Amino acid sequence: MAHDHSRIDRRGLLTGILAMVGGVAVAPIARAMQAGMDPGYTPANPFMTADQRALTAAVSERIIPTTDTPGAIAAEVPAFIEMMLSEWYWPGERDLVMGGLAAIDAAARKTHGKPFAAIMSEQQDAILTSAMNQTLPDAPADSFEHLRQLVIFGYYSSEIGCTVERVYLPVPGRYDGAYPYSEVNRVFSS
Amino acid sequence: MSDYEFDAIVIGSGVSGGWAAKELTEKGMKVLMLDRGRMVEHSADYPFEGTGPWEQPYRGQTPPALLEDDYYASRYGGAGQTAVKGFMNNDRLNPYAIKDGPEFRWVRPGTVGGKSITWGRVSLRFGPQDFEANGKDGHGNDWPIRYDDIAPWYSYVESYAGIAGSKEGLPHLPDGEFQPPHPMNVAETWLKTRLEKAMPDRKVIHIRTANMTEDKPEQGRSRCQSRSQCNRGCSFGAYFSTQAVTLPAARATNNLTLLSDQVVTSLEYDPKTKRVTGVRTIDANTQTTHTYRSRIVFLCASAMASNQILLNSKLPGSDKSFADSSGKLGRYIMDHPMLTLFSGNLPEGIHADVIEYGRKPAGIYIPRFRNLDGQDADADFLRGYGCQGGGSRGVSSAVGFGASMKAGLRTYGLWSVGFNVFGECLPYLDNTITLHPTKVDRFGVPQALFNVTYRDNEKKMMADGVRQGRAMMEAAGLINISAEERPHIPGDSIHEMGGACMGKDPRTSVTNAWNQLHDAPNVFVTDGSAMASTSCVNPSLTFMAFTARAADHAVKQVKAGAI
Repeated sequence: MAHDHSRIDRRGLLTGILAMVGGVAVAPIARAMQAGMDPGYTPANPFMTADQRALTAAVSERIIPTTDTPGAIAAEVPAFIEMMLSEWYWPGERDLVMGGLAAIDAAARKTHGKPFAAIMSEQQDAILTSAMNQTLPDAPADSFEHLRQLVIFGYYSSEIGCTVERVYLPVPGRYDGAYPYSEVNRVFSS
Repeated sequence: MSDYEFDAIVIGSGVSGGWAAKELTEKGMKVLMLDRGRMVEHSADYPFEGTGPWEQPYRGQTPPALLEDDYYASRYGGAGQTAVKGFMNNDRLNPYAIKDGPEFRWVRPGTVGGKSITWGRVSLRFGPQDFEANGKDGHGNDWPIRYDDIAPWYSYVESYAGIAGSKEGLPHLPDGEFQPPHPMNVAETWLKTRLEKAMPDRKVIHIRTANMTEDKPEQGRSRCQSRSQCNRGCSFGAYFSTQAVTLPAARATNNLTLLSDQVVTSLEYDPKTKRVTGVRTIDANTQTTHTYRSRIVFLCASAMASNQILLNSKLPGSDKSFADSSGKLGRYIMDHPMLTLFSGNLPEGIHADVIEYGRKPAGIYIPRFRNLDGQDADADFLRGYGCQGGGSRGVSSAVGFGASMKAGLRTYGLWSVGFNVFGECLPYLDNTITLHPTKVDRFGVPQALFNVTYRDNEKKMMADGVRQGRAMMEAAGLINISAEERPHIPGDSIHEMGGACMGKDPRTSVTNAWNQLHDAPNVFVTDGSAMASTSCVNPSLTFMAFTARAADHAVKQVKAGAI
């Protein structure tokens, strides 16, 4: 399905149809809404429990929340993280990120008696702030920064990140090294 | 034209091989072009062109474990990108003896078209001083030609390839046949204005690049669309590659036979006639061996691979290469040290209201300014370097998390400019490529073994680059200035050259002024292996010019019955 879509895009691009952004924004949002949490990936070695998936989704969404544009969950960042951790990362790095997630969940359970995914956003943000400041008990050093970078990369390389949050320019057609930011008030993506 | 299967065999289909095939077929020769890599057809075989990161495996990032296992050298040529990996050599399947000498990064392509698909496209002419340097300071062999000999051939290849640049009138970086340059952005213009005023002996110019700014409809090629995803392949044909430029021209003659997946293992040599009589191949997929025959051979396998083939081509009954009567084959291996870096930001508020629209395929250049008018009093090294860089405005860095971070990532940071220093490496007799005594690849060919190091002159030159880079950034008024060196590993700039160096004297050089082997005049070596020195500029344009010049000479020689 995604494959067909890319082929259509490519043909459009090469005939010059897809020279500008505009209309492509709607499709990925609609698809994400329909698909719910369908990751769009099938990790070769899925390893997270249901609780870990819910935790990953909740943390991702607080790092990049839904605002006037979709957030990390709509952009399928949680599934991306599981895929990367299972297939791309070295085992030591995976343990680091998973250790950080576990420490975040443990703090929620200790302070609020509930899993991180079930507490209020303000409570979640307080725990994540502690994780960012490296004051969370039992969190491996730099584990939150690894997690944060993974969420950022996953979001801004997703279709939503590239085409909805940012302004996708697959074929700029020209270069202007003095283009007014006020014309776009966003960041271009490629 | 002859009794042979082919008039000419071209070994390799990269920058040099493509030009050889084009020139020879257009002059009426029946040409067989062989490449060890798989076939890549223009446009049809650029699977990741125009795709977003979400459409690529791992969002376009090759898994590190795969890089370590299969692309331990190619990773320095872009194999870390999913969209580029498919054009690169698999170093596990096609290894070299990387662990047996000082570290040398031999970055190889894995397809027809060679590195012309993934190259950096910077296209600068060597200057008169470059062809004189060896003779003047005594390092390496004096070039058997001078700038004026090659200048018309630069013009010839530039006009066809399509080079964007600006005429500057610099004697040491000669102007060429240019399309209009890619425009500078505000940071680049700002730097140029301020640096040239503060340091009048420095110039900041458009780097000259094989990305077109005007269409070439007669070649079916369009100008650059500012995607800056060149190394995925470009269906617009906007940059020079074999697939977009020289291969279509050669095919149009109906004189070309192109075979992919054919590994050339050695050349067959007849000592009685002093000629190469055959090109021995093994099919990479079927392991079938064959010997192809032709009147002349153009060896364009890439600088180090051409050395490997020549080293593996023995005199009958001997373990010595037929091409090594001088004892200089595989010597004087060079590359450009390039990991001196300097950069800075434009001060806050400067051009804060503008950003870049589109992605430029080329930046700016500070041409060589050292040791041009004799030896500079404060320079403790010979020859010089150029600085390649560009200006850009990146996204603000991510601060914290949540909605504020997301909002911050909709804004841009300060404008920045940054440069790499590319230095000329002196030719050293004992910087070598040899054949490993015991290790062979899956085709039975002895693995290449490198013993190449940078020496005192390169180290002093790169250290000078740090000092001068910092001074230039300061003089221009940049902030957050950084100027540093990282370890310079030979091979890193993918400008490896030498080993079959040109020279006047067959006793001290491997090839002559026409790129012909002294030991076999029907073989023309026109890739980087014939280079007697490296200049400090990127060499591919020079390989093109030498190849076109040698092809012209070769056909005249054939017609005259001389070879």
